[in-house]
Amino acid sequence: MAKKENSTKYDMDATKKLLNEMLNKESKKLNADLPEDTIKIDDLVRKQALERLYNLVDQLIEEIYATGKPVIELPSRSNSNIIWDEKSDLLLLGKQIQKKQFHTLTSVADITRLMRVMEIINELLQKNIHATKREIFYTDVKLFNDQKNSDKSIEDVSTMLYTTRNSTHIVASARGSCVGRLRIRDRNDIIDLEGLGSGGWGISPMLDDIEIIESDAEFILVVEKDAAMMRLAEARFWRQYPCIILTSQGVGNVAVRMFLKRLRNELKLPVFSLVDSDPYGHYIHSVYMRGSKRLSYESPFLATPDIKLLGVLTRDLDKYNVPDDCRLPMSKRDIKRTEELLKEDYVKKNPEWEKDLKLALKYKKKAEIQALSSHGFEFLTEKYLPEKLTTGDWI
Amino acid sequence: MRLFRKKDGSIVQLIDKKKMMDWPVELPLIFIEYIRNNKLEKYNDKKVEQEINNYLDEVLEEVAIPRLIKVLKGENNEEIVDALNRIEKIATENLDMARPIKPYLEDLMNNTNKQVKTLSDKILELFRKEERRKELNKRRKQMKEKEDLFLAGKISAEEYATARKKYLEFRDNR
Repeated sequence: MAKKENSTKYDMDATKKLLNEMLNKESKKLNADLPEDTIKIDDLVRKQALERLYNLVDQLIEEIYATGKPVIELPSRSNSNIIWDEKSDLLLLGKQIQKKQFHTLTSVADITRLMRVMEIINELLQKNIHATKREIFYTDVKLFNDQKNSDKSIEDVSTMLYTTRNSTHIVASARGSCVGRLRIRDRNDIIDLEGLGSGGWGISPMLDDIEIIESDAEFILVVEKDAAMMRLAEARFWRQYPCIILTSQGVGNVAVRMFLKRLRNELKLPVFSLVDSDPYGHYIHSVYMRGSKRLSYESPFLATPDIKLLGVLTRDLDKYNVPDDCRLPMSKRDIKRTEELLKEDYVKKNPEWEKDLKLALKYKKKAEIQALSSHGFEFLTEKYLPEKLTTGDWI
Repeated sequence: MRLFRKKDGSIVQLIDKKKMMDWPVELPLIFIEYIRNNKLEKYNDKKVEQEINNYLDEVLEEVAIPRLIKVLKGENNEEIVDALNRIEKIATENLDMARPIKPYLEDLMNNTNKQVKTLSDKILELFRKEERRKELNKRRKQMKEKEDLFLAGKISAEEYATARKKYLEFRDNR
């Protein structure tokens, strides 16, 4: 089938229209219009982050001298303090404050870990180096006991400083990759993302060293799976359809989401996601779109609210004749997850999305991106994606 | 980003020159070379090629050269040597790109650091060679005119021989 369609010319009409709309729009400033009942987070350069850290320590010392019983106040990251802002289409952190006492037995371990993380951040910023969360855990295994504890302290310190985790020089481990029509600067090197083979460029978590210097792409495609990425890379998809392709192999980690956000904001290109047709795929799309609840305080720096869900949609399974034996039955867990997604405000506000999820519940079927290869390996790159990008068949 | 639109509706975006102000000193020049050597022809649009060329000239004049000059006028010889190595490479490939720096190279001939002096002289030699080549072209043209005049019987054999001798002396001793 794919071969038969080879001669068809797809002009990406709908994508080009969207691109022109976006290029003509004024870019919105981060944080500019966030609601008053949410906290404001800043992305800081090294010097600013150090200043903020020292101010916090000064305040604590003053409190120790004044009361002898210092208390740390930080924004609560509990579910009740996570707000979906309809206007910005982001999950944000509200203004509820959590207090941590220094002098109680229950909080002593927690406070010691916090202080240790602050000390490590000071060292990283002073030396202008970066460390992963895993490395932080290994700096003091006895104290942290479990990486969950060090991760929690890292997030606590970031919120205490009202900044992003990247600003503290604690970064996610490298997991995502990127290929396509993009040239970047990594310190003193110019890297051409078209010339790195099918593996592409491993997205650096040290994004403060990265700068976008040139691109002739017209859209960005985020793919859930490595297998789909490999298919696109092997077909050199970006040559015929000028684009930048990213993958994070599952839910986008901080580095991938931050890099995507930067690409979107600086290049003003339309962004599409290609995920499995199942609730997990839809969840991955939602995380790119409005952020995760756990990192809601960083949403303005991580989320790409105007990302479009290109596929694989439930309605595509019939439209593109995905055979029954390539459709998998939804498990009880899948059904529960789909129902949970349908309860989310951001899904309720998007009728097309709601309709597609309801269709999935009706069929009780799911499918992977790879199910499209039942029509041939090239079907994805020569028919499915080009046709959808041309007709504007996305959510 | 600086946006360039092609006739077919596609686009090219290049980083804004203001952002290059904070780059390491040699990087704006590397960027200019990179785009000119690797990308420009691939854009396949004469209008955009010309517009980008003009933009790269702006980057050269407003960012790359002033930043290099600042280093050359400074007192850190290590930085000066790094900058001179980069300038030499650029001058060998395209002498015009390095022309605005020439007066500063002449000043560096008074620098006490031997490496700075040698490198500056090496680059200045490229300018001297270019000047001599231009002078030779001028004299070759004049010699051709003398030949034509001699063949037409408008000047004497003696006058022609004197001019020819002067020309050959210059050509062989340049």
